[in-house]
Amino acid sequence: MNSANAIIESLCEKAAHPARTVMESCKETGKAAVGCFPIYTPEELVYAAGFLPVGMWGGNTEIKLADRYLQGFCCSIMRTNIEFGMRGVYGKLKAVLLPTLCDTLKCVCENWKVAVPKVPLIPVVYPQNRTLPSGEVYLREELERIRTELSRISGEEMTQSHIEAAFALYENYRRAMRAFCEAASTHPKTINAKTRHLMIKAGYFLDKADYTLQISALTEYLNQLPEEPCAMRVVATGLLSEPVGLLDILAEHDIAIVADDLAQESRQFRTPARETGDAISRMVWRTADMRGCPFLFEPEKTRGEMLIDLVRAHRADAVIAFQMKFCDPEEFDYPIYKAELEEAGIPLLYLEVEQQMDSFNQSRTRIESLSEMLI
Amino acid sequence: MYLGVDIGSSSSKVALLSGEKKLLSTKVVNLGTGTKGVQTALDELRAEVGIPAEQILYTVATGYGRLLYKGADKQLTEITCHAKGISYLMSHVRTIVDIGGQDSKVIRIDDSGKVVNFAMNEKCAAGTGRFLEVMARVLGCKIEELSELAAQSTQDVAISSVCTVFAESEVISQLSQGAHPNDVACGALRAVAKRVAGLCSRVGVVEQIAMSGGVALNSAMVDILAAELGYPVTPAPNAQAAGAVGAAVLARELYEKGMRQQA
Amino acid sequence: MENALTSKQLLAKLQAEHYAGAMQAKKEGKLVAWATSICPQELLETLDIDVVYPENHAAAVGARKDAPQFIAQAEGKGYSTDICSYARVSMGYVDIQHSEAENIPLPDLVFCCSNICNTALKWYENLAKTLHIPLVMFDMPFNHTFDIPAHSIRYMRGQIESAITQLEEITKKKFDYDKFGEVMKISTETALWWRRATDLGIHTPSPLNGFDMFNYMAMIVCARGKASTRDLFKLWHDEMAEKVKLGKGPWKEGEELYRIMWDGIACWPHLSVTYKTLKQYGINMVTSTYPESWTIVYEQNDLDGMARAYSANYANRNLDYGTGNVIKLVNDFDLDGIVYHSNRSCKLMDFRQYEVQRRIEEATGVPSVVFDGDQTDPRIFSQAQYETRIQALLEMMEKNRLAKQRGDWK
Repeated sequence: MNSANAIIESLCEKAAHPARTVMESCKETGKAAVGCFPIYTPEELVYAAGFLPVGMWGGNTEIKLADRYLQGFCCSIMRTNIEFGMRGVYGKLKAVLLPTLCDTLKCVCENWKVAVPKVPLIPVVYPQNRTLPSGEVYLREELERIRTELSRISGEEMTQSHIEAAFALYENYRRAMRAFCEAASTHPKTINAKTRHLMIKAGYFLDKADYTLQISALTEYLNQLPEEPCAMRVVATGLLSEPVGLLDILAEHDIAIVADDLAQESRQFRTPARETGDAISRMVWRTADMRGCPFLFEPEKTRGEMLIDLVRAHRADAVIAFQMKFCDPEEFDYPIYKAELEEAGIPLLYLEVEQQMDSFNQSRTRIESLSEMLI
Repeated sequence: MYLGVDIGSSSSKVALLSGEKKLLSTKVVNLGTGTKGVQTALDELRAEVGIPAEQILYTVATGYGRLLYKGADKQLTEITCHAKGISYLMSHVRTIVDIGGQDSKVIRIDDSGKVVNFAMNEKCAAGTGRFLEVMARVLGCKIEELSELAAQSTQDVAISSVCTVFAESEVISQLSQGAHPNDVACGALRAVAKRVAGLCSRVGVVEQIAMSGGVALNSAMVDILAAELGYPVTPAPNAQAAGAVGAAVLARELYEKGMRQQA
Repeated sequence: MENALTSKQLLAKLQAEHYAGAMQAKKEGKLVAWATSICPQELLETLDIDVVYPENHAAAVGARKDAPQFIAQAEGKGYSTDICSYARVSMGYVDIQHSEAENIPLPDLVFCCSNICNTALKWYENLAKTLHIPLVMFDMPFNHTFDIPAHSIRYMRGQIESAITQLEEITKKKFDYDKFGEVMKISTETALWWRRATDLGIHTPSPLNGFDMFNYMAMIVCARGKASTRDLFKLWHDEMAEKVKLGKGPWKEGEELYRIMWDGIACWPHLSVTYKTLKQYGINMVTSTYPESWTIVYEQNDLDGMARAYSANYANRNLDYGTGNVIKLVNDFDLDGIVYHSNRSCKLMDFRQYEVQRRIEEATGVPSVVFDGDQTDPRIFSQAQYETRIQALLEMMEKNRLAKQRGDWK
């Protein structure tokens, strides 16, 4: 138990201080960092190039400089990233990767080149027709292009064995994360809503090799502990379950997140790779196999079904939608899965979030009302 | 006896319920959280009903200031308390539309007053009392007078801007072009009704519908909302105190539940 | 009989026929598709599928002030007020299915091309899911480089081929490649006449009133592959060429005093106010980025060329290309100013606007203003703000003109 607590404390600390953690990771590994914008990037290639991939999921800061490029009705994660970029917070990054998965990302791609000229940007243009043969061929070529770009920046050739090793490491990481989420689901007191988020977030600032060892060790400790009850079990959906102040409110009321459909969390690791083929093919196929993500075209729109399955599998009482204000893809999905959840009789709480939220009174009322409704 | 305390941002309300679930008294003081509002209201209550403090078996606090109120046995949100309060005051109500000074909410309840679904707008001034404050200021009248003006409206004047700031300039421009204040007042109430109707759709409206919150005192608002929803809307009697009443009812429920669990 | 009609009359006739034709097709049990505005309509035209364009429809609904009921319906289902108002009107229309402004039949299939934005993808996903109908989707990868990459073109070509197969399955018809060639030819001709017509705005005074251009644009959206559209634009072109010969300006009364570009789509619910405010000062919109966006030309039967042409529209290009495009317009059309419509619904256009504005100002010295509006949601517009901004632009343009006359100019 002490060892579990030690890991929890350490990872919480690391997740709470991204800049410091990235600096420490770079020092420990001797690697330079490359930033990875949301939602998906080929991190394995960054790793294979000898860089440390780090997440860029915004943060809570006052927006002043970014207004030069972006109107106010823009996703706060992107505004923050441009703001940090302009302020030099990302100055140590050797490059950033940016996937053009939504209209805002496309514009930020262009604006970054002007606003943050010192940090080279490598766009990643994922295909939306990802299951068509022509889409798979295209993505393969796009990944090869990125491989070339990264090699240029690192000054070294990225060999096939580098890529295979990185891919194997990342598949290990994903397996470990899925196992951690299962263990967290049955230990909602030890891994409360805030802890769960910070455990997962820490991985964005550490070398995955090191991080995977820690999270696997924690999972093993958890699985030795008896299962824990909690007052209310919820499934979280959306981009990310932040600001952390919201999670404090959940934890205060013993409301646990027992499963998630969050871009920053499970969507990164819930889809396993196919068993055979070379690494790049398997990366292409993983993209083709992903389901229930608002950023990846899917006419069947199985997200609602998936949420219902998650609720049932984890004996959840409700779904909480952490709706990032101004996120168009998420906002389009909401009416569809709302209707499906309503039909299935599953309560859904809609929380509008922005990264710059400082007052949580209103969110508190909503969360408490949900809890009062169900308990 | 059971005490319900509702501490809002600009007013404090208290309600006292007997053991037999009879509402003994309610008090409203126009001073909100962080002031002597609650104490004043409680003093007034005691002066009227004359009960010693020990006879209060359970206290529930609600409203914006509930977390800071030391005298509560339990704190519950205004959603839960309003629902219970309205249900107590009007047993056939299944949907509550609450338009307050700072926010608006729509709550669907079951026959026991338990919340089934809810939606809130607390970020945007449009659709709340604040929008009407701005409109009243432009028209040079008190917010309560908007109702009288609107009732005499003879022409449709639409205020289309969704942003309160834009709406202000829109209204100034309409007045300067000769629009009648009665018609503008009516347009303002209709703009609020439209916003609130949107919240209603998201939650799903089931009859009967009651209106609570400060804006419900505005009789023209009630009629205009009914027209917008296509359903009759009844203002809740003692609407301002509904939260405190609900808190008192819940205080009694929680106390009795506690007694049963001990037994 | 056709020759007796002016292009304006012909436009009205063709528009009415377009909508009536779609309603009739649906009645007869023929397939009707909904499609995005810059999609490979050649495929649908070849298979004789009636198509309507919900963007056009939303614009018509917005212009005739009927958008609020559809927006309220969509928002009542949970569609955020933050998303594209065309999509909100469309999802509301799917339920209500009737507008005093214009009616379209519900679709049997939806046909989406992501070159205009990613939002269209989400909108069409929702249409397909809500109506339980098939979705044919063309993904045109975002061109972050100046030129369109070869692997993108191969991917787009592959999608065209897949789409043909998918459509053959849906229609149970064999794709007629000869007819396809013909349709490609007509489509290119139509695009060229559209371009020639809109290019006449180069003349001073311009025979073209830009707000008129928005109206004619409806046809380049909805019937590009039809000979009648090609002929409409030729007629429009010839009428304006006549006006040029006679030195006639855009309006019956009033002189063109200042020439501007309007960046973005119109504020459909506030067309009258936005137009009249400009006209009263003699300000004429002589061009925009739309003429170029529909100049979709390629060699007949060249699928790669067709793929490249569709991928090349303004919204799908990088900042350097977009800026270069506008600078060329400033120079070619001899512009005095630019009005940027910060369209609340259109993030893809808006979130580059500020940088574009700065670069154009630096490269050409031409003054500009930005105003807040929306394409179909009437609530997002302040007449007072718009008028103030246009007045400010006028003052800047007047000042520049005086400076030029005095020889102070650059």
